[in-house]
Amino acid sequence: MQKFFSNRKLVIVIIVLIVSLGLMSVSVAIRNKKSTPPLIQQFGNDVVGAVDRVVAWPVNGLQGASNSVSDLLNTYQENQKLKKQVDQLAQVKVNAQTATAENKQLRKELKLNKSLSDYTAVTANVLTRTPSSWMNQLVISKGATAGIKKNMPVMSQSGLIGRVVEVNQTNSKVELISNTSSSADKFAIQVTNKSGSTVNGIVTGYDKSTNLIEMGSVTSKTKIEKGDKVVTSGLGGVTPKGLYVGTVASVKQDDYGLASEVRITPAADLSDLTVVTVAVK
Amino acid sequence: MRYSRLKIIFPIGLFLALFLDGSLSNAFAGHLFKYPYSSVLHLVLLWIVFAIFLDDRGELPVGLWAAFAGLIFDWYYTGVFGVYLVALPLVVYISRQIKPWLDLNFLTMLMVYIINLTIVEAFVYIWYLIGKVITSNLADFAVYTLGPTIAVNLALFVILYYPVRQLYLKVS
Repeated sequence: MQKFFSNRKLVIVIIVLIVSLGLMSVSVAIRNKKSTPPLIQQFGNDVVGAVDRVVAWPVNGLQGASNSVSDLLNTYQENQKLKKQVDQLAQVKVNAQTATAENKQLRKELKLNKSLSDYTAVTANVLTRTPSSWMNQLVISKGATAGIKKNMPVMSQSGLIGRVVEVNQTNSKVELISNTSSSADKFAIQVTNKSGSTVNGIVTGYDKSTNLIEMGSVTSKTKIEKGDKVVTSGLGGVTPKGLYVGTVASVKQDDYGLASEVRITPAADLSDLTVVTVAVK
Repeated sequence: MRYSRLKIIFPIGLFLALFLDGSLSNAFAGHLFKYPYSSVLHLVLLWIVFAIFLDDRGELPVGLWAAFAGLIFDWYYTGVFGVYLVALPLVVYISRQIKPWLDLNFLTMLMVYIINLTIVEAFVYIWYLIGKVITSNLADFAVYTLGPTIAVNLALFVILYYPVRQLYLKVS
């Protein structure tokens, strides 16, 4: 032990500690700026991302194969269920098409060119997930060249899963909605109840033990029931309106009894992601 | 002449392990990060420990490669620099210090690997805590992260020990 704390070693240890802490605080400080990451960091990420594709491809292939096998096993039951749904869907689809067309026409008459709900979908593969228990992050295979910008919302096939936190030229990092770090900024969402009135709020947290999204500090007296649909409200920032988040699981008073807290079952499964869609506005 | 092959195989294996960590974490996310437990794959660390203890001449620049792998990890996976960049070389240093004192066999290597896993996980946890990247308490960390992480990685160690040893015996 005496040898360990000889002068030279002690100096080296201290220098290493200072450099390491310095690097960390600088990168944490610049992480939340709009212009980040710096060019050099982008370049490194692009190079590593290109190499990672070589490894990610066979692993994703294997995952796809095992998914197909398990799909095949429930094909019959699923087919029965889906057939029933398809009949209803055809009708809904026609309805939606008519409504969209009408909506477009009406907007043209009102000279409303852009609306909150407009976006283009950019589909990307999931390259990898950060192997850490502290960061629920994904790296996806599209970046600035595909029009992705920081803070854009990311969806799986079924619903919202997170937002873009770092954009490089050919890949970008996505922070999942289950990330509870204090720096994660939150989505503006709204609940629409059976009678059509809406309640606005923001995502305030994620309860990992029950896998529910929390929407806190709701002071509205509008009645919200279990099963009401939750979508993004499009207020403030780059998130378009109308991205599906999930359904209401429960409503309860918060600890002080003044406001209520809405718990939301997310529509997307956060643990099985191979392809995601970025809503580019 | 034959020794130089290890100098090529080691970095390739290191980066393969680095990328497999991420890819497998995503592929098995449902099992590895099932609440409340989160088990982190540490194939990179496994590869480094194997290299230190199975390469009997100690001529591989493991420390430098570990620092490089740590840098790439910070750069590509987390975006927070200076954490794995220091944690991985630290483990190399400690392992090198321990090595002459040990009678090398499967069990002692297993023990060293457990110690190294604990050091890396604790180091990363403390560093992120200082940098305010995370908020979590020590008990949760020990029970829900460190425990499962060690369990999963020990299983991988047991599976991979003999194949990797064979590889090293063949190459060096």
